[in-house]
Formats: sequence, structure tokens, C-alpha cells
Amino acid sequence: MGIRNRVYASFVRTGNAPAPAEVAAALGIAEDDVAGSYRRLHASHALVLQPGTTEIRMLNPFSAVATPHRVEAGGRCWFANCAWDALGIPAALHTDGVVSSACPDCGEPLELEVRDGKLVDGADLLVHFVVPARRWWDDIAFT
Amino acid sequence: MVFLRSEEHLGRWLDRNGWDPGASMSAARLHELARLWWWTRVEPDWRPRTPAESQAILDELGLTGDFWRLT
Repeated sequence: MGIRNRVYASFVRTGNAPAPAEVAAALGIAEDDVAGSYRRLHASHALVLQPGTTEIRMLNPFSAVATPHRVEAGGRCWFANCAWDALGIPAALHTDGVVSSACPDCGEPLELEVRDGKLVDGADLLVHFVVPARRWWDDIAFT
Repeated sequence: MVFLRSEEHLGRWLDRNGWDPGASMSAARLHELARLWWWTRVEPDWRPRTPAESQAILDELGLTGDFWRLT
């Protein structure tokens, strides 16, 4: 299993994004090599690092930091990077899920529920994409 | 990308931030997109999609036109 897939597996198992040192220890390789892999994966959009660091911010659809989009799925609470990712977490885990978010206009709490592969609650809510597709990665945190 | 209560809330939110409208869809449609886009993401044999493969997913849901062009 490559570094990228190992990082995802660790995150799904523990709920925490592993630091390069943890992956290096597990694989018996140099921490610098893992850090280099993290930077390459960031450059290819396979994960997102905090600026100027090797600390993981996003393992899309998961967020490694708290966000306004919370998802209960697979017996754990996750954070998602955006609306799309919030519905992506139950999909990626192949499980039911409840998304808790809020309308950015009025702050009203919003809840959506995925059950048996169907969106059974919140289906009529509106979703808006501000940024066109070819610019999604210009500033993925804003997107 | 955000969830909003309605078009009225979207309009106010865009005005307040000074943003031009982008593209909207229902949460139901986003759910379809999320399933196609993320389904294999944590599988051990996952590999990155090509831009053409990602574009095909958008096309499949009728998300066509310049706004939805990835490249």
C-alpha cells in the first residue's frame, strides 16, 4: 500500500491525520522521505497540507480540522471541507450518515440524512458553487 | 460549496459578500454527484482519476457548460 492510501486508511481507522513521523515509524522508512511524499501528494491534489508545513489539512472528502460541516457516519463524527464533501463522507465510507451544517445567510442549523444510499432528509436544500470548476484548486480552502 | 435554505437566502448571501452567482443545484443532485465522485476514495486500491474521467462524472449528471469545465 502506498503512502497516500496508508494515510487514508489510518485516518478512517483513527479519525486523526498521521504526521510523517508516525507513517515513517510504521513503515520503517525515513521521516524526510514521508514528508517528501506528503509534499508530492499535496502538489498532485491527492491531499492538502497546511501552508508551508507537512501537517495534513484535508484528506478529501474529510477535513482534518474543524469546519462548519459535521458528519456522523460509521460510528464517528467527522468534519467535511464543504457541502459536497459532507455528502461524500457517507459515500466514501459506504454507510449511512447525518450531516449537520448551517445556512451561511441566516445561521439556521441545517441537517441532512443519508440512509441506505438515499438522501432521506434535506434533499430540497439548495447548494451553491461560487467558484467555476477549472478554478477549484486555485484556493481549495475557499472553494 | 455550501448548503442554503433557499434562493432568497442565496441571493442575500451573495449580495452581502459581493460575489457573482456561480451554479446552484439541489442537495439531492449533489448527493448523486458525491456518490459518484467519492465512492472509491478510501478503498485500498484507489488511484487518481484522470481529468477526463472526472469530467465524465460531471457530464453524466448534466453538469455541462463552461462553469463545469475542469480544464
